[in-house]
Amino acid sequence: MISDLFSMTVLVGILASGIRLATPYLYASIGETFGQRSGVLNLGVDGQMLLGAFTAFYVAIKTGNLWLGILSAMVVGALMGLAMAFVTVNLHAEQGISGIGFYLFGLGLSDLLFQKLLGTVETVKGFPKIHIPFLSDIPVVGEIFFRQNVLVYIAFALVPIAWFILNKTTLGLKIKAVGENPEAADSLGVSVARIRYFTIVLGGTLSGVAGASMSIALLNVFQQNMTSGLGFIAVALVYFGAWRPWGVLAGALLFSLVNSLQLWVQVLGIPIPSDIAVMMPYVLTILVLVATVSRVRAPSALTKPFERGD
Amino acid sequence: MSNSNQEKWGPKLIDALLPVFATIAALLVGAVMLLLLKVNPIEAYKAMWDGAFGSQNAVAETLVKATPLLLVGLGICISFRGDVINIGGEGQMIVGAILGTLIGITLVDWPGWAVIPLALITGFIGGAIWGGIPGVLKAYFNVNEILSTVMMNAIAVQLMNFLLRGPMIDPSQAELASKIPQTARLLDTFRLPRWVPTRLHLGALIAVALAFLVYILLWRTTWGYRIRAVGQNPDASKYAGVKVRNYIVLALILSGAFAGLAGVMQVYGVNYRMITDGSASGFTGSAGFNGIVAALFGGLHPIGTIPASILFGALLVGANKMQRVVQVPSALITALNGLVVVFVVSSEIWRRRRQKKRLAAASPEGEEIILEGSDPGDSPGNEKEVES
Amino acid sequence: MKKFRLLVTVLLLLAVLLSACQTQEPAPVVDEPGAEEPAVEETKEPFRVAVVMPSSINDLAFSQSMYDALLTIQSEMGGEEAMEIVYSDGMFVVDDAAAAIRDYASEGYNLVIAHGSQYGSSLQEIAPDFPETSFAWGTTVDTFGIDNIFAYEAASDQGGYVNGVLAASLSETGILGVVGPIETGDAKLYVDGFVAGAKATDPTVQVNVNYIGSFSDVALAAEAANTHIAAGADVLTGTAQMVVGAIGVAEESGALWFGTQASQTELAPSIVVANQVYRWDVVLNEIMDLIGEGTFGGTSFVIDLANGGEVLEFNPDFDIPADVAALAEETIAEISGGAVALQAPEFEDVFQVAVVMPSSINDLAFSQSMYDALISIQEWMGGEGAMEFVYSDGMFVVDDAAAAIRDYAAEGFDLVIAHGSQYGSSLQEIAPDFPETSFAWGTTVDTFGIGNIFAYEAASHEGGYVNGVIAASLSESGVLGVVGPIETGDAKLYVDGFVAGAKATNPDVQVNVNYIGSFSDVALASEAANTHVAAGADGLTGTAQMVVGAIGVAEESGAMWFGTQASQTGLAPANVVANQVYQWDVVLKEVVQMIADGTYGGTSFVIGLANGGEVMDFNADYELPAEVKSLAMDTIKGIIDGSITIEFAE
Repeated sequence: MISDLFSMTVLVGILASGIRLATPYLYASIGETFGQRSGVLNLGVDGQMLLGAFTAFYVAIKTGNLWLGILSAMVVGALMGLAMAFVTVNLHAEQGISGIGFYLFGLGLSDLLFQKLLGTVETVKGFPKIHIPFLSDIPVVGEIFFRQNVLVYIAFALVPIAWFILNKTTLGLKIKAVGENPEAADSLGVSVARIRYFTIVLGGTLSGVAGASMSIALLNVFQQNMTSGLGFIAVALVYFGAWRPWGVLAGALLFSLVNSLQLWVQVLGIPIPSDIAVMMPYVLTILVLVATVSRVRAPSALTKPFERGD
Repeated sequence: MSNSNQEKWGPKLIDALLPVFATIAALLVGAVMLLLLKVNPIEAYKAMWDGAFGSQNAVAETLVKATPLLLVGLGICISFRGDVINIGGEGQMIVGAILGTLIGITLVDWPGWAVIPLALITGFIGGAIWGGIPGVLKAYFNVNEILSTVMMNAIAVQLMNFLLRGPMIDPSQAELASKIPQTARLLDTFRLPRWVPTRLHLGALIAVALAFLVYILLWRTTWGYRIRAVGQNPDASKYAGVKVRNYIVLALILSGAFAGLAGVMQVYGVNYRMITDGSASGFTGSAGFNGIVAALFGGLHPIGTIPASILFGALLVGANKMQRVVQVPSALITALNGLVVVFVVSSEIWRRRRQKKRLAAASPEGEEIILEGSDPGDSPGNEKEVES
Repeated sequence: MKKFRLLVTVLLLLAVLLSACQTQEPAPVVDEPGAEEPAVEETKEPFRVAVVMPSSINDLAFSQSMYDALLTIQSEMGGEEAMEIVYSDGMFVVDDAAAAIRDYASEGYNLVIAHGSQYGSSLQEIAPDFPETSFAWGTTVDTFGIDNIFAYEAASDQGGYVNGVLAASLSETGILGVVGPIETGDAKLYVDGFVAGAKATDPTVQVNVNYIGSFSDVALAAEAANTHIAAGADVLTGTAQMVVGAIGVAEESGALWFGTQASQTELAPSIVVANQVYRWDVVLNEIMDLIGEGTFGGTSFVIDLANGGEVLEFNPDFDIPADVAALAEETIAEISGGAVALQAPEFEDVFQVAVVMPSSINDLAFSQSMYDALISIQEWMGGEGAMEFVYSDGMFVVDDAAAAIRDYAAEGFDLVIAHGSQYGSSLQEIAPDFPETSFAWGTTVDTFGIGNIFAYEAASHEGGYVNGVIAASLSESGVLGVVGPIETGDAKLYVDGFVAGAKATNPDVQVNVNYIGSFSDVALASEAANTHVAAGADGLTGTAQMVVGAIGVAEESGAMWFGTQASQTGLAPANVVANQVYQWDVVLKEVVQMIADGTYGGTSFVIGLANGGEVMDFNADYELPAEVKSLAMDTIKGIIDGSITIEFAE
């Protein structure tokens, strides 16, 4: 029984599953990382994902063009981000709450649009699994890593890109400065407002892609509330990853791999009640954090609105 | 002096009404959506009003909806003051409800006057535990409370599913082929008294009374003072000898406790059993989140949270009535809910600006205002380095 | 001399006058045809009947059925001295028919029968002018409120249903053909009944229907029959007089024939299986009784299987297998006993229904199955003019649902459906406050003993079992995978049935079950399915709305998919083998009927394979090997007749 878990099939299955499950988390969490690094908490990610998922699906079905679907999802996510940015930066709204408001709005609107514009659950021909010559055929490794669709690869590619931007570019410097000490950054000529607008809109865009990755790549279907709270987990993972892209990757992978593991636990008939198995990723995420007690600090200005002259 | 009294009341009233104006603005945007759905907005909003206030029953429903919002909101007032963000209300409500229900379905031979208070207290404690865990994790292990509460919410749902379909399932379900995951029904004697023929239950009164208690706690006790102090300036508090760590935990324990109480109140006052559909919000009605909004609407002040909860409750109840009358998909109601939250939260800026102006205009009274109102500079969620 | 002649004339006249004043002795009431011999006491004058018919008295259909009935009564009454019959047949020109009717009435006939629904408006004009004449009109139930018009109709869908059952049972190709005149009235009723009976017997049967647009075009009817044969039909039926053309084609090609209205056996004795024969004399006897008592109209009659006005007459020379014959008898009994509700009851006002559901109406699962059922019921009851319904979907917050249920009840809805097992507690509180409202609650069988709550449930393990049997038969890898939401309620029942069916078919088959802990997490359902596939499963199933994720995986990996609650064929047409479709309208029809009869609750219903509430819907594009298909059919039949008991594996 439990020994079954250590067979090659299972291990390969867990890893491949984990990579697929992690993809939407990566998009959303990396996007949120930028936002939080600049001092903004966005709890509306799930709503942005749902609207992005629907938009991509609808455009893909109507035009047959998947990349157009991605683009539309990015636009919709960016628009939501713009609204969030305005509310946060200009109106100094309480971030945790405004995020929840955007979440509810995205949840309801995506559902409403789905009912009125599509009306029935249907599938779309989404991004196919890519076959990379030679790489895909490597036994085990090839199966796990090199038989995924393009959006999976992009999601993972975002990690080093995000790391690079945050740590090796002036933009990254500015973002971090705005998040740590907006007053100082402001006095140095950095436009806090513009940086935050950038990161929030970027976050929204990436959340839109996260949703699209589900509706036109991984699952090829849209259903109301299909994210089922994924966006909130994605936000939580930013904290897990200590605001570092590689940390976020670790968090997304940990969570997703444990999720895949619990699926196998059930499939192999290991006698754990199904609800307890489902709990595993959540419990483990907390336990790992506890075990790796760190002294990491959040960006000091996180959730604090900035007003010049404060 | 009388002059400045007048100045104090008028503007303050407008401040208090700002959320109402913002709500109206949101509903105007909603009207556009209704028009696009070929629904007459006037008819729709009239139905909303009727649903919230249009009859004795409607008002009772509004108050019933407002009760968990108020209780959760009270907890949020405490935690925000302690500069801790608690988005774990959903899970805390569930755990409080589970433990409270356990009392009622086990002690079936006890009298009602003993069981009900015991159950409420147990629910309070259950929520306290579920809030305390993230508190301890934050204080001693530096685990951010947003992460831990989000995880704890999900864990609570699975726990509920497991218990309600297994050990705590209604024995009468056992013979059925298709078993409903619910507990046995509470005995008549274990239910909170109701204002028949409406659904308004004693819990509403208890919640209002507790609001005053929380006010006293926060401003008239040492605990409350220290919570606020830690919230406003943890470093200064530390130097003043306050064990910052403990008060962070306390803030989460208390806010979790009130959420737990909200959960058990739903069982003993409204549903008379616990039942699951596999989600948190099926039981809580998202009061764990909406309570946060209500607290904010109320200026993070326990007394202010009372009218705020009623307003928000009215909105939710009225919106559902609107759905039934004009037959719009409930998805529209959800989106409308979100719009209202965004608008009201955005309107805070005007309240703060007005407060600042008054502060600048009259110093001695200004200090008083700072102490009672919410301070813009210290939003919660700010991770502070916690030293032993 | 003159005086004597005058006296005799006067006496004769007196005698004539006296005899003319004698009242007619009516024939006694006959409740069942041929059950009693009418005892005629005194017949001074024959009972005079005139009938106007649109086609010939030997059309082997409509007009013949009435003419035969009249002859039957005449012989029962003692012949021509007791009853005089005159007729005008071939009166398809309405104007001419009207003239004939008016003429017969003015000639003093006791009963003038206008045997054709097209004669109605003429009758409406004529009848009031002859208050001493009794008119009878069919086929309809409308007497226009005029008190010397009787109306009569045939519940032709009943015999049609039985014919359909027989046809589907006997067909080897699984294709049936129907030749009808015009898609309305008695003809449509018969055809609809036939289709219903056929589908109820074999859900995979194909019934092709052709209305040729005429009651008389024999050549066209023959061609329609040829078309059916070419399309693969091996059993035909049809209604109205032009079917003689179709019967000829059937005989030529060796297809079986089912008749209606009159016996058509003599036309093709080798292929006619059975006929639904109209016995209008059942109605005529009652009408004549009433006339005898002085009532000349104002009542309407329906002939059906229960009152013997419709009789299923089997061709003695056609050898029907015993089990099929038994099935037919059973069906007739059920219909006569009212178990099969074919016609909707009527209500004074628009029947108003409200339903509260936890998920969306297009979730391809739970809520959708109820929403679809309500649409179907609305059609059954006669459209929006007869039944209105409103809904509140997405009501997963139990509290909000309770408020909605209470509100709908307070608004005066006739039936409030709480479609979610989590709503029970609330319903327990609400129902007693609204004794005039009927509540229905599912999925459960618990009515709490409250008199105005109906409960309904699905025996989802039945369809699960069938799916499991098919899956295990088709699986090459011997591994099957199940994706479920939460391990309870309807979901668990379905899964347990699936496992039982699979294991019963192949004890070595491995069925891996995964409950993902949510009804909505599509991504997790998808990964659960991937896990199954990686573990070797080539057949998947699951329940609740998030299975759309799993179906996508099935499609990608080429695994088979078995659906439940609603048909999921459209999502993966190449992979879906079969679906257990919930037809809640089977329950709703009974509920509506009970409400019409004044009972607002207290009963629980279970939809299953036997009562047609669960239907195994096979994907027409998925080719099942013959032995698997027959195994599936046998399994379905076995569950229905109780020879298969489903035992859950532990």
